[in-house]
Amino acid sequence: MTSPFQSIRWRLQVWHGLLLLLVVAGFCAPGYQIALENQLQRIDKDVSQMERRLFRSLMESAKGSLYPGTPETRDGDRPMISLGQLLEYLREKPAALSADVAALFQGHDPGYAYFSIRNSHDEVLLTSPNAPEDLTFLPPAKSEHLEDTRTIDRRREIRRSSPSGFRIVVGRDISQDLDAAKRFAWIQAATCLGLWVLGLGGGWWLSGRAIRPIQTISKTATRIAEGNLKDRIDITDTDSELGQLSKVLNNTFDRLHDAFERQRQFTADASHELRTPITILLSETQRVLKRDRTPEEYRETLQTCNHTGQRMRHLVEALLMLARQETTQGLNGHAETCDLAGVLEDTRVHLAPLAADRGITLHTDLHSAPCQGDPGALSVLAANLVNNAIQHHQGASGTVRLSSGMRSTGEPYFAIQDDGPGIPTEHLPHIFERFYRADKARTSAAGHTGLGLAIAKAIVDNHGGEISVQSTPGQGSTFEVTLKNDRSV
Amino acid sequence: MRVLVVEDDPDLRRSLAATLREENYAVDIAADGGDGLDKAKQNAYDIILLDVMLPELSGWEILQQLRPANTTPVLMLTARDAVHDRVKGLNQGADDYLTKPFDIEELLARIRALIRRAAGQTLPVLTIRDLSIDTASRKVLLKGEDIPVTAREYALVEYLALHQGEVVSRTTLYEHLFDEDDSTLSNLLDVHVSNLRKKLGPEVITTRRGHGYCIE
Repeated sequence: MTSPFQSIRWRLQVWHGLLLLLVVAGFCAPGYQIALENQLQRIDKDVSQMERRLFRSLMESAKGSLYPGTPETRDGDRPMISLGQLLEYLREKPAALSADVAALFQGHDPGYAYFSIRNSHDEVLLTSPNAPEDLTFLPPAKSEHLEDTRTIDRRREIRRSSPSGFRIVVGRDISQDLDAAKRFAWIQAATCLGLWVLGLGGGWWLSGRAIRPIQTISKTATRIAEGNLKDRIDITDTDSELGQLSKVLNNTFDRLHDAFERQRQFTADASHELRTPITILLSETQRVLKRDRTPEEYRETLQTCNHTGQRMRHLVEALLMLARQETTQGLNGHAETCDLAGVLEDTRVHLAPLAADRGITLHTDLHSAPCQGDPGALSVLAANLVNNAIQHHQGASGTVRLSSGMRSTGEPYFAIQDDGPGIPTEHLPHIFERFYRADKARTSAAGHTGLGLAIAKAIVDNHGGEISVQSTPGQGSTFEVTLKNDRSV
Repeated sequence: MRVLVVEDDPDLRRSLAATLREENYAVDIAADGGDGLDKAKQNAYDIILLDVMLPELSGWEILQQLRPANTTPVLMLTARDAVHDRVKGLNQGADDYLTKPFDIEELLARIRALIRRAAGQTLPVLTIRDLSIDTASRKVLLKGEDIPVTAREYALVEYLALHQGEVVSRTTLYEHLFDEDDSTLSNLLDVHVSNLRKKLGPEVITTRRGHGYCIE
């Protein structure tokens, strides 16, 4: 977390804040607008009501003077008068407004109302004493009745102009309403801000919760990077995306740990395997050099040293072979068509003398099994398996059978079967491991490095094949290698 | 001094046995854990050299079964040099620990030191009045003068000197000076003792009739 804006939490927070602001503003601003408009409509209704009262009062007054003597209470009995007549009437003599109407249009107290009436020649016919100086009228109408409503300078006015030349402005002071609207706007803004802040807080909390597993993962990964390879991420919620990620990471850590362990074990084993022969070399040479010896004794010591040197050579060669097989993936272009039957026949010829020394007969039952493979590696594979069978054969005499052929599924295979002591079941899963020895004995004197089967497995893996072993203690073991179908390689 | 070498590698076993025999130790060998444990239980050894990785029983297992009844010093020989391996060995009752590959001289020096300590001695030169026995160079000095002795004679006087003041029975002496393959008759001990008396003076080794010998 070097800079706040590099942290996911902060970025989430910023985006969340912006979106929330948009949403809150998007709700509040139209809300304010609607409230304001409602208020204006109410005012307009109010103003037009006042206008109507003014009008009625003017009409009453005009009717009263045009048709005197008619009882006022019965409206319907008086004939209607037109706007033109009203204009005429107003021009000729000042109209007397009823007291309650006149009381409406006076003073400058907040919310006061005013009016002004003109004819088409801009003559002021009637005006309330409190009408502002700067009143403007609609232009004289030609044929249509003109009307508008406007807000000007903290006042709301209705203006009309009729074709008959009657022009009127009725207005009202709305400073109180405007102040109320302003207060409302402030309250609205404060509420919005409060909501936003609340939302931001909630977002911060949520993103913190969402990110907490990531922090756990990060801390665990750091501990692992520091060398604690056995540490794992504690997964409580296995179904969430982060749970899945943790699972994947834990699997990766497991695999890394295994690879690391194997590597460590291998190095330890390799150095362990080399330590004994070096001890022999040192011990023998130091012992012999302590005093003068007979040529016979020197010869014996040199033989021991030579034998030990050979042993180290075998070990180093086997290690190199294994390393080469394990570092290359696949056949790397070494593949060519070869016949497993031919490979096994060569192996038999090569190992027959060694087998004979130990009283073991090599039998073959070879059928052509063409495959794609590295012939060099395949002969090492066959030799290792046959050698293994010979080395572990403890009886005075025995038989090792080499067979090859094609499976019904079209895959080439070969098998090495011996009638030796077999491998105890508990060791079977481990025999392909490096330096694993079923008897825990070091039979290295016989040129056995403990790597033969590991190399065999690596070679088979590189050929994309399978190696399996079946063993019955006391009756012998069978190693089977099945390679991939010729055409599928 | 009698040594048991438990080591599965035939070449190393042979080489260690040859080295120790040339240093006048009586050497028994065992090629696997089971044999090693049997021999360690049956015979009285002055020291056991124990390999860790052994067939049948590992060095650790042998050690577990030997201790605490058997107090013979055990020197572990192993190719594992990690600290926790060494600590494990020493914690389980091993007396010393040597990592392969090692120098023969170091091995011999450690063997000598372990035997000496087991007998309660701290110095490599054992001094009894005029007699001093240098266990490192295997020399016997009388009043500062080097007395030539045979290997068996040296082994005899060294054993008695290490157990100074104790009466050592003939059987014990026989057990500690001859290995299992040795068919030497036990009355040869008397010959060695009389030869030593001739070389070192009659009063150095006293005979307790029916009990054994003693250097006081």
